Amino acid sequence: MLREQNPYINDDGFTARVMTALPRRRQYYWLRRALLLGAAAIGTALAIRWLPWESLPAVDLSALLSLDFQAMAPWLSVALVGAAILWAVIAAVEWED
Amino acid sequence: MTDTDLIVRVLTSEDQNAFAELVRRYQSPVRGFLARMTRGDTHLADDLAQETFVKAWQKLHTFRGSARFSTWLFGIAVNEFRTVVRQRKELAMEEIEDVVPEENHCAAEPPGQLRLDLTEALERLHSGERAAIVLCCQNGLTHEEAAQALDCPLGTVKTNVARGKEKLKRWLLGYQDYEPA
Repeated sequence: MLREQNPYINDDGFTARVMTALPRRRQYYWLRRALLLGAAAIGTALAIRWLPWESLPAVDLSALLSLDFQAMAPWLSVALVGAAILWAVIAAVEWED
Repeated sequence: MTDTDLIVRVLTSEDQNAFAELVRRYQSPVRGFLARMTRGDTHLADDLAQETFVKAWQKLHTFRGSARFSTWLFGIAVNEFRTVVRQRKELAMEEIEDVVPEENHCAAEPPGQLRLDLTEALERLHSGERAAIVLCCQNGLTHEEAAQALDCPLGTVKTNVARGKEKLKRWLLGYQDYEPA
């Protein structure tokens, strides 16, 4: 009975209205991902090339545990750069139109 | 042409005629579903249906093909309805608990009257039950497909269908002895 009481609805111009309301398709939706991943790759390359790896202090667990920010500052910079790159990669992969 | 053929044409060739064919195929079930969900507000239902197809056009590249196209489309329609429910609280109205069942009518009631009372009865259901009943019983979706479209557990859909049917039977009890002339 439920199926019988589900009458067909005539189009009456509905399809035409939908078609005129359609936005121009974004043909290059892949471009956004490519740009973000490209930026992340360039950032990674620059970070590897320009970060002062030689002057980074050895990891000091006691400084880490005692939250000695001055001692940890160089490594915090590395962590921030890494986080920014990771963020760009995740944004590129998870981006929804 | 199958839905898959049309979708491939839209995605590879930007074939608007192919998308128009998809709209023509599914405009009636989508508009009908939204008309039920909006409790008969056909203008709002058509606006939501139009937005559903526009979103489908924009997101067609995300359709994976693991489910039927109709299931995916109903999922978008459900989301559009839920968006407007957040703005218009009267659409989220819970089932009317104190409805007085229709008086028993004589067997000579015409089918048109039966359709009207079924419409009224469906409008009185809780929105979750109404959605489950309309998708499964009127549009032929399986419970699993309805759960996917409604983004809720399978058990919830089955419960809503069973409860909804029970309530409809109770409310329409006066028509069960109807015999056409």
